[in-house]
Amino acid sequence: MNAWAKIISRLLIALMIWTPYQIATASMIGTDQVVASTSQADRTTVLNFLSRSDVANKLQSLGLDPTTANDRVAAMTDQEVQSLAGRINSMPAGGLSDGATVLLIIVIAAAVWWFWQR
Amino acid sequence: MQNARSLAGVFMLVTVCGCTSLMPQTAALRETLSPELHGKVELKDVPFFPQSEFQCGPAALATVLNESGVKVTPEDLVPEVYLPERKGSLQIEMLAAPRRHGLVSYQLAPRFSDLLTEIASGNPVIVLQNLGFKENWHYAVAIGYDYGWGKLYLRSGEDPRSVMPFGISEFVWMRGGYWAMVALPPDRIPATADESRWLSAVAALERPDPRAARTAYQTFLKRWPENVNAAIGLANTHHALGELREAEAVLRRAAQIAPDSVIVLNNLAQTLADEGRDAEAMQFIDRAAALGGPFASAVEETRKAIRAGLKR
Repeated sequence: MNAWAKIISRLLIALMIWTPYQIATASMIGTDQVVASTSQADRTTVLNFLSRSDVANKLQSLGLDPTTANDRVAAMTDQEVQSLAGRINSMPAGGLSDGATVLLIIVIAAAVWWFWQR
Repeated sequence: MQNARSLAGVFMLVTVCGCTSLMPQTAALRETLSPELHGKVELKDVPFFPQSEFQCGPAALATVLNESGVKVTPEDLVPEVYLPERKGSLQIEMLAAPRRHGLVSYQLAPRFSDLLTEIASGNPVIVLQNLGFKENWHYAVAIGYDYGWGKLYLRSGEDPRSVMPFGISEFVWMRGGYWAMVALPPDRIPATADESRWLSAVAALERPDPRAARTAYQTFLKRWPENVNAAIGLANTHHALGELREAEAVLRRAAQIAPDSVIVLNNLAQTLADEGRDAEAMQFIDRAAALGGPFASAVEETRKAIRAGLKR
């Protein structure tokens, strides 16, 4: 994808996610601004708007199609979007089947048995 | 009996050996868990979905969602939480997904006693465990415990009733920062809910599902009737759903509790203006403007719009 196409698609994603809320809350001060701490309330709309498209893009790069990625971002709070934007790759992703439990339990059971025998 | 011996062994290990740094909260449970919960609980009716490869996230989530009355399968949830390139599911997405089904997600305080308290009040809890030597993250659903024997029961992976001693449960759970969550229907409040954190959890539902959020705010206000922020949230959901009269009533009541809340005054003025009552709206927005504060620019915009409406 060339650079322009990339910029335009990012913009479209951001607009798709952002527009409905902008319209719905004209002039009403949103609850998210009330319940968020002061530092978060200071964040500008622009920052938010960029983070949402940024996270949607990152989710796409991790194997999702654009619609799925957008739907997922839409269910997140601003705060969640912010924390994902920074460190999506370093966050734990739970996925293991619990086979490894057995290993761990054996190790601990061995320790217990050893203790018991003394 | 063998089981009992090894359990006793674990307890000995904790108390005698002084290995409390491996499982600090287990050692303190006697004091932290309320005495009437020192019994045995098992939520036997919680459904079980055996996980397919790497998909403990969708399986754990389906378990909890079904218990909260949302009929979904793990397969339905794969597109909502699973990340193919990471071969797993992120915690934030586990919290976000239930909102798409009209539930409130709540991350518990990182306390073993809170985990057990939620189970005792009937709520299965998703926990994040690290089961390997390095990073092998796994979601399981805690559905019961036996305090006397120090055992936790979980729906986990392919095991419908995994039994884990408290100490081991804590050890694998501690490595994920004691991360745990519940997802409840909007007419319920978790047993361990903290007022302000629960309010944030409810507010997070506003965008994905304003109707469910409305119910959740109403439930919230029954428990904490003086919370002005919750009233603002309720009015915002009414407003978003086009229920202007209801929004107005809620905001008028909030304005009695907190006459100097700029947000309440601004939103009340906006609601009145939307109802076509610009003259009344003007009184409130003037009061808001006189108070100043961090929302002054938003107030000024509302005022301009109402003025423009008056001139028409």
